[in-house]
Amino acid sequence: MKRIDVQEQPVLSPGRIFQIAVTGVKYRLFRAVVTVAVIVVAMAFLMNILTESLIKRAVAESVRDQIEEMHRVDRWIARLSMPQTAEEILEGLAEEVRRTLPDEPADEEVEAALQDASPYLRELTAMSGYGMDEILALQPVAREAIQYLRFFDNLDYGRRRVLVGPVESTQIFDRLQSERAWHHFTSNLADMRTVRFPFPLEEFQAFIERWDELETLVSKVRDGQSRAIAAIQATLGEQPVVEALRDADGAFGDTLREAGFALTPETASLLAVEVERLDYTLLIEGTINIHGVRQAVAARRDILPGDVTMQMIWQMLRSREGAEWFIGVMHESELATRGLTAERLEEIASQRAHARLLAIAERQTREAGGGLMGIGTRMTWLAFVSMLVCAVGIANAMLMSVTERFREIATLKCLGALDAFIMSVFLIEAALLGLVGGLGGALAGLLLATTRMAVTFRSLLWPALPWAEILIAGLISLAVGIVLAAISAVYPSFRAARLAPMEAMRIE
Amino acid sequence: MSNAPAHTPLEETPVPGAKRVIIRTVAMKKIYQRGEEITHALRGVDVEIYTGEFIVVMGPSGSGKSTFFNMIGALDSPSEGRVFIDEVDVAQLTAEELAFLRCRKIGYIFQSYNLIQYMTALENVTTPMAFGGVTPDEARTRGMDLLELVGLKERWFHRPIEMSGGQQQRVAIARALANNPSVLLCDEPTANLDHHTGDEILGILQRLNKERGVTIICATHDHRMMNICDRLMWIRDGGIERIARRDEVEVEVGAID
Ligand SMILES: Nc1ncnc2c1ncn2[C@@H]1O[C@H](COP(=O)(O)OP(=O)(O)OP(=O)(O)O)[C@@H](O)[C@H]1O
Ligand SMILES: [Mg+2]
Repeated sequence: MKRIDVQEQPVLSPGRIFQIAVTGVKYRLFRAVVTVAVIVVAMAFLMNILTESLIKRAVAESVRDQIEEMHRVDRWIARLSMPQTAEEILEGLAEEVRRTLPDEPADEEVEAALQDASPYLRELTAMSGYGMDEILALQPVAREAIQYLRFFDNLDYGRRRVLVGPVESTQIFDRLQSERAWHHFTSNLADMRTVRFPFPLEEFQAFIERWDELETLVSKVRDGQSRAIAAIQATLGEQPVVEALRDADGAFGDTLREAGFALTPETASLLAVEVERLDYTLLIEGTINIHGVRQAVAARRDILPGDVTMQMIWQMLRSREGAEWFIGVMHESELATRGLTAERLEEIASQRAHARLLAIAERQTREAGGGLMGIGTRMTWLAFVSMLVCAVGIANAMLMSVTERFREIATLKCLGALDAFIMSVFLIEAALLGLVGGLGGALAGLLLATTRMAVTFRSLLWPALPWAEILIAGLISLAVGIVLAAISAVYPSFRAARLAPMEAMRIE
Repeated sequence: MSNAPAHTPLEETPVPGAKRVIIRTVAMKKIYQRGEEITHALRGVDVEIYTGEFIVVMGPSGSGKSTFFNMIGALDSPSEGRVFIDEVDVAQLTAEELAFLRCRKIGYIFQSYNLIQYMTALENVTTPMAFGGVTPDEARTRGMDLLELVGLKERWFHRPIEMSGGQQQRVAIARALANNPSVLLCDEPTANLDHHTGDEILGILQRLNKERGVTIICATHDHRMMNICDRLMWIRDGGIERIARRDEVEVEVGAID
């Protein structure tokens, strides 16, 4: 006679569970493909956002200097018309110097430091009348000032107003000089849970006490700059600054240096070239209004003269042959070429194309920086929302594929499966789908993003591509895919596995 | 857990020939509720089934036979009343012990087969063995033997969808026998089989019952079953109408004739 004596059930080996899960996936391949497709789309979306943001940030970083250079002429025109702001001066001062002075420097040492220091530090001494040692002594204070300014800059207006009142930039330091304002600041800071002041308060207080010294330096520099500007304006008379800058590597450059401006010979010659380029650019842009030139270009391109655009001409000038031809046309139309050679023209045209690209890059990357992985706060938000959308999509797909198998779960339970076994099968299946979908999605998103970015940034893209960060973004997408799929499969299968088998079979 | 007093089986060795109860129900009721609609599938069933018995359960469609099987097979919980399997109250078993019971001690042949669609015939048969800890190699040999027993050895690699109703039913029978159960619950095991195959299945059931002492509880409309059973049980409208030994029934049938 057989007898029942109830014992506990052994646990199946992971290998066997895996095998059963894979058989299930293979059998329901179509369903699996649909689920994977949902995951692929969701992950591609996420990966696309991440990659594009990362690329934008990397491009922004790699072209920052070039953009700076692009604005060199503008900057000097600005500098020769107005003293710098306090913040600009502090930033300039805070910049690294190659040499720090000993505690009690000898004259030669100061002299050497002066030679060695950045041209801007020399300008500061000239404009303010301070000694180099004094300036260098204030440098650490300036660095501190920059830190604090960044902190206040990053606060939104409301919070900053609560802490320091309706002032900004270095005015904040001025205001905190007063006992009342300082008290107000510290007590509000303590109350405000959402703001963390990342520096020790005592240090900040010490800085506020020293701010006076720095402030005096800054205003002296500004006074000096104003005086220098007035002197230069006087020598220029009616002549615009741009025209004068054409001579930046000659007499005008000397004038600037004598007035105390930090103009190195290298910058001066670059400025001169730049101004010359601007001149030539204006010259070429003017030719489009000359009848003969228009006719010639139209004939060459086989279009109507009215359809000729500047864009078209610049495009043409980017080849040597085109540039030579154009110079010829200018001669025929008896236009002054002012010594412009075909070689130089070609160079200007391609530089101009590059500059346009840089301008696009600047516009496109304005929002880069900050937020998650430095992809910008707006992009972080977008990535977060897209992650939510993915979660809903994947959860829906997994829920459907699990609920339609309640009957199978019930049968397995009737045959003696443990709840843990059933959940492992579904977990493995979901993780597999998540893995495949996540990989596919990451690749698709990467491809899409790089293609789109390649169209936008063209030659700027390849050297800047941040491979390591993109890899991390890919891993993040992959992990998100797997985890989301697993979580959304665990819940329904857990519910079904806990029920009595026949109860589970009745759920439709 | 298995040593807890409530779970310990009766230890005394049964007196030869004495009847030992293997399944007992006490005032077992099952009420299905779907929204407002309430169905009394079982209205208080008290029954004792003895070890080694062959019982045939008869009753019109919808009378509650399948529900009764689910209850005594520990596949569903009664709304009221209790079920004892080998004097152990099913309601007190843990999930693991229930799994053990369903896996090794009870074999089910479902009315709707309930085969796993993505598994081959052989995989379906060996799945309960895998849950029971049998090694894959041994499971394979035993699975093939079982398939041979039901005459499907050549079709071991077919999936349910590629088989006829009768073939699926036979796979379900082979699967029910996978772990040499002590109790076999058969919900209309011959419904889809031709006369000849049905006879073979009956032969298998009878042999299991006689040679190995497997308790067999079998719902059927098949009158051939009546010839091999020990007792008959009629269910009507969720209650037991009558239980009788075969010899009593035969006398009646004879009397009517
Ligand atoms: N899940 C359910 N929900 C509601 N009512 C149910 C459910 N399952 C069964 N019933 C009802 O319980 C009663 C008994 O059903 P059961 O399946 O036990 O009958 P049966 O005797 O096995 O019938 P058959 O011979 O047709 O298989 C029927 O009236 C049926 O409608
Ligand atoms: Mg039934």
